[in-house]
Amino acid sequence: MKKWIWTGENVTVRNHLHNTPKRPGQENRKRTASPLDVELTAGDRHPRLTRRDESDLNGYKKKALSSLIIVVVFFTAIITRLWYLQVERGEYYSRKADSNRVRSIEIAAPRGNIYDCKGREIVTNRPSFNVVWIRESNKINDDWLRHLTRLLRQDTTALLDKIRKMAGTPGHIPVRLAEDIDWETVARIENNRMHLPEIKIQVVPLRVYHYGNLASHLIGYMGEINKDELDKADKTLYRGGDLIGKMGLERLREHDLRGEKGHDNMEVNALGFEQQTLKGDEPMPGNDLHLTIDVELQKTAEEEMAANNRAGAVVMMEANTGRLLVLASAPELHLEEFVGGISQKAWKAMLDNPLHPLINKVVQGQYPPASTYKTITAFAGLAEGVITPDTPVFCPGSMRFGNRTYRCWKRGGHGSVSLRRALAESCDVYFYTVGLKLGVDRLAKYARMFGLGDKTGIEMEHEKPGIVPSSDWKRKRYNVKWHEGETLSVSIGQGYNLTTPLQVAQMTAVIANGGTLYKPAVVEKVINADGQVVNSFQPEVIARIPGQGRNLKRVREGMIDAVNSRRGTGREAQVDPQHGIIVGGKTGTAQVVRLAQYMHLREEDIPYKYRDHAWFTCFAPAVNPEVVVTVLVEHGLHGSSAAAPVAGKLLNRYFNDKFTEQHEKKPAQPTRSENRVALSHDMIADQEFMASEDSDNTGNHLHVETHGGQQQ
Amino acid sequence: MNMFHFDRRLLQNFDWVMLMMLFIVACLSYINLYSSTYVSGKGASPIFYKQLFFFATGLIAMLFLLFHDYHKIIKLSYAIYALILLLLLYTLLFVNPVSGAQRWIDLGFFNLQPSEPAKLSLILVLAACFAKTDAPGGYRLRDLIKPGILILLPFALILKQPDLWTALICCIIFVSMTLYVRLRWTTLTILGSMALGSVILAWKYLLKDYQRQRIETFLNPEADIMNHGYQIEQSKIAVGSGNIFGKGFLDGTQGHLQFLPEKHTDFAFAVWAEEWGFAGSAFLLGCYFFLLIWGLNVAMSAKDKLGSILAFGCVALIFWQALINLFMVMGFLPVVGVPLPIFSYGGSSLLTTMAAVALIMNVRMRSFPVQNGQQ
Repeated sequence: MKKWIWTGENVTVRNHLHNTPKRPGQENRKRTASPLDVELTAGDRHPRLTRRDESDLNGYKKKALSSLIIVVVFFTAIITRLWYLQVERGEYYSRKADSNRVRSIEIAAPRGNIYDCKGREIVTNRPSFNVVWIRESNKINDDWLRHLTRLLRQDTTALLDKIRKMAGTPGHIPVRLAEDIDWETVARIENNRMHLPEIKIQVVPLRVYHYGNLASHLIGYMGEINKDELDKADKTLYRGGDLIGKMGLERLREHDLRGEKGHDNMEVNALGFEQQTLKGDEPMPGNDLHLTIDVELQKTAEEEMAANNRAGAVVMMEANTGRLLVLASAPELHLEEFVGGISQKAWKAMLDNPLHPLINKVVQGQYPPASTYKTITAFAGLAEGVITPDTPVFCPGSMRFGNRTYRCWKRGGHGSVSLRRALAESCDVYFYTVGLKLGVDRLAKYARMFGLGDKTGIEMEHEKPGIVPSSDWKRKRYNVKWHEGETLSVSIGQGYNLTTPLQVAQMTAVIANGGTLYKPAVVEKVINADGQVVNSFQPEVIARIPGQGRNLKRVREGMIDAVNSRRGTGREAQVDPQHGIIVGGKTGTAQVVRLAQYMHLREEDIPYKYRDHAWFTCFAPAVNPEVVVTVLVEHGLHGSSAAAPVAGKLLNRYFNDKFTEQHEKKPAQPTRSENRVALSHDMIADQEFMASEDSDNTGNHLHVETHGGQQQ
Repeated sequence: MNMFHFDRRLLQNFDWVMLMMLFIVACLSYINLYSSTYVSGKGASPIFYKQLFFFATGLIAMLFLLFHDYHKIIKLSYAIYALILLLLLYTLLFVNPVSGAQRWIDLGFFNLQPSEPAKLSLILVLAACFAKTDAPGGYRLRDLIKPGILILLPFALILKQPDLWTALICCIIFVSMTLYVRLRWTTLTILGSMALGSVILAWKYLLKDYQRQRIETFLNPEADIMNHGYQIEQSKIAVGSGNIFGKGFLDGTQGHLQFLPEKHTDFAFAVWAEEWGFAGSAFLLGCYFFLLIWGLNVAMSAKDKLGSILAFGCVALIFWQALINLFMVMGFLPVVGVPLPIFSYGGSSLLTTMAAVALIMNVRMRSFPVQNGQQ
């Protein structure tokens, strides 16, 4: 105790009352009894609390004041910071807090279905069942793992591998243990519910192709989104691992088909495990596409092409609307090879295939139009007045121009021919003569009127425009003057001429419908999930050729003869006579290469790739044509034998279906049957008209009707 | 010892203001503790009751301290100091490390963290030492040898635990108190350069890897987002997302979904700021501010040197800890293990802080003449 008192004595306190100091330090030399000492020594009875050593305490007051300033400064800093965090950036941090705690799992939207023109399903979805593990406890339990491997009949290591791959991902994302399991397995898992506490069955829509590879170039396929696509895509709609249309309509109509993803929202804790379920949203199914394609006709076309292992294209189009009923490119693509990324080997095989399955020949294949082009030469000649239907041209089997001889396909010559026979028998010399009278530039002008040389604007990828040669074009392209001799080749559709099968179909449609160029269409209507029509097809006129109905009719007459006359080149395209339908068409044989070494070989001995392409394009019925069909068979040698039969089959099928349908509807819709009667009458009239060649009145009458019909 | 005098002074000059501020802050802390340790459906947690018990114990301790003149308490300072040093030594030698640090002595009902009372005992001995040493014209360097030794012993022992930030708090308190008494300019310059040198040396040789990493993380938080930078980021998100009026009691998402680390101890303020917003935080800070200002007022109006230094030391203890904690919560400092006095959960810290408050009140009560006493 004594020690502590001693300590107390040493505490010095400056006494201000006894000295008047100049500086506080100097008078501190004197020791006075401190109040503490006083308090302690004098006891509690007389504490001298009034005596305060002010000078020394003044120093402390100053220090305390500056401390006060420090405290104020720091507290101001804290309040400012608080203001900044909570008020200035409060919204930002609120969003961060929400993104911290709210996790959402996307629910895939069922993709829109694709139907044909009669409502038959081409592509739909089916539910596919995946087995997922919801990591509630994040512990792998041997018990359920053993159970599951037994039920799935899989290897434990395979499951563990999948779990290991997901180890780094946030806890709320389920681990996919098995994909697209069959219904029986689903049932087995559901029955063992109690043993598999954290295992769930996840339902995901998957694409089903009801007709296999039918119209594969048109419909396309889907695949996992790649980096390029993801970079370009709207980040709110797509994320890695999503499926996206890769080709064809699946790609072009992605915005219609995809629908909107739904979300399961949940609140998670810092470890990412679910705490409670929040309000989510249901996925919105994509829009359905109804195509103009008729699957049965399409199937017929594809089967015809496949039966002879042919490469080529088949187009069937409504002459008065531009609706495409058939759009086939042969050979078909094997879509299953593309799903999930195509293997290098399969890709190479496709590239090396001489039939070029990767090329969509309908719009990407460019071929000389060959004799099908003669319709344009004929029409241009009539429209420009350089020929009349009766202008005779003598065909001796060849024609001398400059210092070259231009042959007719018929060595013996056709003798004296006028327009109708020239078209029916495809006399080259006749069209050389007409072409020379017109000149290449006038020919080009008319070719463009029929839509050649331009993309048609159809909803397909990588469409080619083809080439309509003219003197301007040649100067620009090769910087060389046009030679008259080249006009001869052009006038029979050879030379620089290049067209796609779709363009030829379009051209035929213009001839058939009396001068209106329609944009070809494949989508009839788009219907949303509520069954409302989002948009529907309206015929779209690109251009009209006015006042030429009569001349076009003359071309049609020539084409009708080509199919129906004894010496016609397209006899194979005739339709079963029971329907009374008359077809008009034009064959074509496009030279691939003219090599001397192959000249005298028999056709079968020419190597495949040097054989000529076969064309056939036609319309039906002869009066008020409804449809046009264009067939191109690559290296098919002759339009008449390779291409025309395909068109004939298609037309047969088309009219069969049509009359069966009308027959079925007859009692319900009497007006239809009246139409049919009228149609039959027309056809009879037409047949009569064909018998008497110069009944112009009937022709005019028909022409007016046709024209009026279009304008409605 | 005449108890009669004490009673009268207690009644007449009792520091009601300080006591009220203590109660307000403590009340807010209990509201917050209830929320931060709340488990859905179970109500108040055991931790909550434990802290209530500590508060009650603290009140009794305060009453005991108030009954005794601070001069008497100061006389025991060296004994307390020695006892604390022994406890610190004991922890170092006999306590098994908990997650790499030896900080707690298990007393059965409660884990004592001796480094907490060490801060207060340091204030006591320093106050005693400074009040005794008489240095005209300011302290010379050699006058600081004794206080230097007094700080060095607990500093070294705490640093060895290792508990860098508590050790640093001791240093900061020492520096504050040394600056509070008068230093010669030369002394100040020498000490300043020495401090700078030792910081550099400490960075290079003394700091543990994880400590250096924390500081580096703080300087470049993006580099280490999932670790310490993550904790600071989550704390900032918690504070910032409180907006003006907060998410409401028990509705803070950052705290309740475990995004906040140490949410009832070091990051208690983040929970408060999240649930009560700027308004609630400003109120709490206002109370704190007023408590500190009042403490400084006590230091200013103390009747003698000892009282002034003692009160100042206690204010410094509360102020620096609060400041470092708040700076950490708001992302101005790396993650440091410094609690917010009174507000953070922790018995040792609460009892120490309450004792410091009691000392301030003690000085306040005895700085006035007795108005109707015997003269």
